[in-house]
Amino acid sequence: MNQKELKELIEFLIEKDIAEFELERGDVKVRIKRGADSSGPAVQDTRFFAVQSAPPSSATVDSAPSATTPPRTTTPEPAAPEPSEDLHMVRSPIVGTFYESPSPGAPPFVKPGDMVEVGQVLCIVEAMKLMNEIESDVAGEVVKKLIANGQPIEYGQELFAIRSRK
Amino acid sequence: MITPQRTDARLGRIVRLLMDNATVVASGTKIAQEIGTTRSEVWRMVQQLRKLGVEIAGHPATGYRLKSVPDLLLPDMLAPLLKGTIFGKNIQHYYKIGSTNSAAMEAARADAPEGSVFLAEQQTAGRGRGANQWHSPQSTGIYCSVVLRPPLPPSEALIFSLAAGLAVRAAVQEIDSRVKPDLKWPNDALLDGKKVCGILTEMNAEATRVRHIVIGLGINVNQTDFPSDLESLAISLRMFTGTEWSRVEVCAALLKSLDREYHNLLEKPGARESVMRRFQEASSSVRGRKVRIEESPGLEGVTEGLDDRGFLQLRTAQGLKTVLSGTVRFV
Repeated sequence: MNQKELKELIEFLIEKDIAEFELERGDVKVRIKRGADSSGPAVQDTRFFAVQSAPPSSATVDSAPSATTPPRTTTPEPAAPEPSEDLHMVRSPIVGTFYESPSPGAPPFVKPGDMVEVGQVLCIVEAMKLMNEIESDVAGEVVKKLIANGQPIEYGQELFAIRSRK
Repeated sequence: MITPQRTDARLGRIVRLLMDNATVVASGTKIAQEIGTTRSEVWRMVQQLRKLGVEIAGHPATGYRLKSVPDLLLPDMLAPLLKGTIFGKNIQHYYKIGSTNSAAMEAARADAPEGSVFLAEQQTAGRGRGANQWHSPQSTGIYCSVVLRPPLPPSEALIFSLAAGLAVRAAVQEIDSRVKPDLKWPNDALLDGKKVCGILTEMNAEATRVRHIVIGLGINVNQTDFPSDLESLAISLRMFTGTEWSRVEVCAALLKSLDREYHNLLEKPGARESVMRRFQEASSSVRGRKVRIEESPGLEGVTEGLDDRGFLQLRTAQGLKTVLSGTVRFV
């Protein structure tokens, strides 16, 4: 009996609302018990049926767990934006070309992971030789730079994601 | 970094005094009384002025006389010519500075009033776009940055970039009507196809409101030659006309002309359209000229005027493209 057959069997038992089933054929023994019975796992196959275990935890454990802090899991890359997280987006007030540094070859104003203050310059957007300093309007951590150096950007386009400091 | 030393305002007052009394010898005592200092201090300052290139005859025993009217961009020389504009009240002069734009941006951040002007006889780190430098030898060019605070959203401030080029053109033409610089988008002024003026504008803005704009202008006035790497690219007013120009006169005309454009843009209906129209009239290369954009490899085509925001339109093999920024090079 392979896993597919076993699945079909379980589906059949559910469909027919059969609570308990036992099969013995050669060296295979299958016993299935449905419903709320605390005596053991609902499905058991001594040889073939592998019960899927919980995935191995990839989460890192708090490096300094304490009695008062329950262990909490974090994603391997703390700087990666999580969909559920409420990140602040810095947008461009003008159409232009995005520059990450004050001049070509100079280090960028900011990079992901940097902490920034309100009013700190994040980048320059140039249009018609007018250099517009784009400042952060929140204090916090730069999580993501959304535009590549030298790319054209539209009015209102998102430039940086910032996790504001609580 | 060493903070550049602002020029002692009393130097300008001495020059002004000597100019106002050009026909007589002014005694050291009289000058000292007028500016509230001692005779020996006056002598020290006269020597300082001589180092700046001001030709003053005399010494403490005889009194002083100007041999010629100096062409220094001192506040005392310019302010009387700028009455009625926003630029006459706060003029800062430096003998030597890194960049007038950097000084103006820093001052603007520290609440320098609208209309503040920053001038230098010499820049040691004059700036252009990106890593470009502006060649700024002593007392031959005009290195000038102004602080503006227009009550506009940042998206409406781009027009000042075009208007600044028009202001330069008007100022030069006012002094010598034969000199008509050709504008190259967005605001370079050319004579004989070479650059006579470059403009770099910097802005600091909130999402909906400009805090300050600094317009920096570098004008080549009395240079007689340029370093070999700039020879084919740069020209001065003097090289074009063969005569020496008064920097004070050009600078005053420029600031008056800028003031006019600025007020028009803030107050007059249709001023934006006027800037756009006049720019296209003043630029031989804004239409029908084959160009490439230096910062965008492969972007090449024939110019087709400006769109309604002032961006250059370029007809390329891949269709009509809008150029937001970059250096236009003729091909």
